[in-house]
Amino acid sequence: MSSPFVSFVVKKLCPLRVVLRAAMTASLCLFLAACSGSKDPATPAGSSDTQSPVDNTAEVQAYYAAHSDFFVSKTPADLPSDLAWTDVGDLPEIGSPARIRGGVWNERIQDFPPTLRTVGPDANNGFRNYLLDDYVMRFGHLHPDVAGPHRHYPGLAETWAVDAPNRTVYVRLDPKARWSDGPAVTTDDVFFMFWFYQSSYIQAPWYNNWFGIGENYTRVTRYDDRTFAITIKEARPDMLARVLENSPVPRHFYREVGPDFVTRYNWRFIPTTGPYVLTAAEQQRTLTNRNFITFERQADWWANDKRQFRYRFNPAQLRLRVIRETPTAWEAFLAGELEAFGMNLAEYHYDRLPDNDARVARGLIHKTTFFNDIPRPNYGLWMNTARPLLAEREIRLGIQYALNWQLVIKQFFRDGYSRLNTPSDGFGDMTHPTLRARPFDLDLAAEHFAQAGFRRRGPDGILVNDAGSRLSLTLNNGYEMLTPVLVILQQEARKAGLDLQIETLDSSASWKKVQEKNHDLAFAAFNVGVEPFPRYWECYHSSNAYDQPFLADGTTPNPDRKVKVQTNNLQTIAIPGLDALITRYDRSESLEEMRGFARQIEEILHEDASFSPGFVRPFYRVATWRWVHFPDNFNVRFSSDAFEQNVHWLDDAARPETLAARRDESKSFPPSIRSYEQWKTKE
Amino acid sequence: MPLRLDPITRKKLRRFRSLRRGYWSFLMLTGLVVFACVAELFVSQRALVVRHEGRWFFPTYGGILPGRTFGLDYDWETDYRDLQARLHSDRVASNRGDFVLLPFVPYGPIENCYPEQFFKPRAPDFARRHFLGTDTQNRDILARLIYGFRHALIFSVWFVAGVYGLGVLLGCAMGYYGGVFDLLVQRVIEVWSNIPFLYLVIIVAALVKPGLGWLVAINVAFGWMGLTYYMRTETYKEKARDYAAAARVLGAGDARIILHHILPNTAATLVTFIPFTVAGAIGSLTALDFLGFGLPVPTPSWGELLSQGTKNLTLAPWIVLSAFSAMTIVLILVTFVGEAVREAFDPKKFTLYR
Repeated sequence: MSSPFVSFVVKKLCPLRVVLRAAMTASLCLFLAACSGSKDPATPAGSSDTQSPVDNTAEVQAYYAAHSDFFVSKTPADLPSDLAWTDVGDLPEIGSPARIRGGVWNERIQDFPPTLRTVGPDANNGFRNYLLDDYVMRFGHLHPDVAGPHRHYPGLAETWAVDAPNRTVYVRLDPKARWSDGPAVTTDDVFFMFWFYQSSYIQAPWYNNWFGIGENYTRVTRYDDRTFAITIKEARPDMLARVLENSPVPRHFYREVGPDFVTRYNWRFIPTTGPYVLTAAEQQRTLTNRNFITFERQADWWANDKRQFRYRFNPAQLRLRVIRETPTAWEAFLAGELEAFGMNLAEYHYDRLPDNDARVARGLIHKTTFFNDIPRPNYGLWMNTARPLLAEREIRLGIQYALNWQLVIKQFFRDGYSRLNTPSDGFGDMTHPTLRARPFDLDLAAEHFAQAGFRRRGPDGILVNDAGSRLSLTLNNGYEMLTPVLVILQQEARKAGLDLQIETLDSSASWKKVQEKNHDLAFAAFNVGVEPFPRYWECYHSSNAYDQPFLADGTTPNPDRKVKVQTNNLQTIAIPGLDALITRYDRSESLEEMRGFARQIEEILHEDASFSPGFVRPFYRVATWRWVHFPDNFNVRFSSDAFEQNVHWLDDAARPETLAARRDESKSFPPSIRSYEQWKTKE
Repeated sequence: MPLRLDPITRKKLRRFRSLRRGYWSFLMLTGLVVFACVAELFVSQRALVVRHEGRWFFPTYGGILPGRTFGLDYDWETDYRDLQARLHSDRVASNRGDFVLLPFVPYGPIENCYPEQFFKPRAPDFARRHFLGTDTQNRDILARLIYGFRHALIFSVWFVAGVYGLGVLLGCAMGYYGGVFDLLVQRVIEVWSNIPFLYLVIIVAALVKPGLGWLVAINVAFGWMGLTYYMRTETYKEKARDYAAAARVLGAGDARIILHHILPNTAATLVTFIPFTVAGAIGSLTALDFLGFGLPVPTPSWGELLSQGTKNLTLAPWIVLSAFSAMTIVLILVTFVGEAVREAFDPKKFTLYR
């Protein structure tokens, strides 16, 4: 399990490392291409001057007192004496000791941020990544190179101890941990984290729900300023992650949280435990110039020399430049105004900057392909089995064989991508080892369609049944960039006599339609953070498919059941046996046992044939100017792009000579076109 | 019996013919329209004529002919280029007199022309008959241009019909009845014209799959206002004339006066606006397609080609060149025709009240 921070605006399949990467740490959330919304932020900064100061201390204390079962204060003497405190000291260190600190890192964002809040309306956009996700310290972080089992290394915590029988994790904060505006991080901030996220003032229902009393967490106990314990509802194998991967919330900063939180805190920079801050002067500057926004690295950052952090976060400044159009950003990169550019799209990798391009061949720009090993977004077609045609398994099977994903991979992704086999690929040994997606096979498609009564072809070549209805289905799509993929599928499916009507809508409208279960087939993907095991309840449990899926006997489908909307069960799948497995999987406290259930679940899903697995990109590609450096092994195993762990550094001395060499053809440097395959999964 | 036109109209037409630039543009445009109507005969993946085992087939129009018709082992539409190659290399078939006659450009507008290769725009290739090259999805640009033109024409016809229907009706009524009705509709128009059209299109496009009907409806809904003002003033002017009063004295009803007396006398205004309305329609359809709010994929459209072209300016300049030239040529032709019509129908030249 990764952090509980879900974001709904997720990565766009875009060549740039767009700012829309907020969901890196997200739990299940949709992988729709979406652009950050608001374009017209209110006046930043200074707003606090006009607002009367408020102090919510009394309110907060009263809340703690009113929920004394949840917010518990004890003394250090109450700590169990037999706890096994650990700091997991022996994990490999992230980053390279060869790193150089300093320099300005230029990066592109698509829009000026609509707010500096990290919760509430408009906060769930790509900029949150800089304010929270990648740059703020958690109590402990998942080690991005170690798997089987996953391990955590200390961030704000110095040590921790797990008491599994009592579902409690004890944490001792690092005495050096400081907020960027001075105060030390204390257990006050941990208590306050729960108050803040439970508060209705923040207008963030997801947080209210996740942090709600008894929802995931049942108690937080303070022993002294540095020691606390969090008790969670179920001792699942990801219990440690659910506690450690939280970040405290600065109590001293949020004294004025009240009903006007959303406007009051719109333009205040939240003190951070991470390295980069937005200075007051910079905020003042952005009042008149919103072409870029710069974060400064704190020279005396408290974790400067802390293990796992000392070789990371190297640039002295992060300059985020607002460049709306991708082609413009590409030109800016070629002009040396951006340090790096994502090359995931084949067009950029093969056509715009091929390996034999002079800038690559002369070593000015380095190209890197890195095979990562993370849970894969499950791109594919989700079939709504509540629809008349799709209710029939033979039709679903026919569709499975009529979809030519191989051709998509070949033509659109130029053979670089591979086929997704199950909806839960990339979970290491939790992924089913032998299940394979069904291939494109017109004979089998015809056979299954015939079983379902579609034997004859109409004048347009589409199959019709004896009642005269055509085999025509709507294909809902929210990714404009990926529309050509669907056109390939559509044209190939015609060969099987299947008509697919592509309906490309705006990403959020499309997702809304899917959430209302108004789709036949939907092209979508869920993005998953690095978690030890997949989740099944959200997508496959019958309680997310129908209001009352079964009659009293628990197995007979209820004839009057109504489709349940606003859930992630996009297939409207309701199988009693599957429900039972999911329940046992969710209650299980042993990974071994869960693995067995997961395999059975995947087999049932495969048999049901209501998800046609699409493609996965098993790598990321990036082009960088030669003054950008990476560690020897380039990056970590669980990275979804080259920069999220901040292991890169700049060699500013190389910048002028490189830029000068752009125009001087006689100059060249050793070229670097590399592919790092140490984590490449074996087929 | 030849069509009888009144002398003034004949004079106007003669005048139109004498305006060389407009007249030639008109002929060329008509040629293009006719060509677009029968484009399947020149640009299509379907063969014009197939002779197979002694039987004749004309696959251009009508339902598909599955591959089995020609002894191939599949049920989907025959790949005629492949069939041609097969028949050509098959001595028995050649001796039997079997052949396939393909159109001049043997590609369809949504056909992936390089089924075994990467998606990548390919430069014009005369040997393969990709006269304008292929687009980013391996589709023939010429075919997309021509069929895109056809869609633009259909769109324009419906758009002009809708705009004229609404505009003339309301404009005449405003001018003829005047008074409170006129005032009210004017205010409605003022309010209506201030609704931002593009936002509305974006919203609608986000909610429904905007087919041609939807696009026409939205465009008409926001395009009819301009014409009402012209029609209103014309009707005001005409209704005050003696002939209108005479008709009324003779007992003609409102409908008869408007339709039989006033409308024909405002025809000059109506006709002169048509070409510019068409140009506007093509322009706005292209703009909407360019922005991605137009016709559903994979419908061929100029806007979609332009949008591809601008994204691939340096990689594949032939895309943007083709689409841009086609658009410029057609819009220039329409505008030339419009100018000539305006000049030919200029009332100052033919007014009877000199």
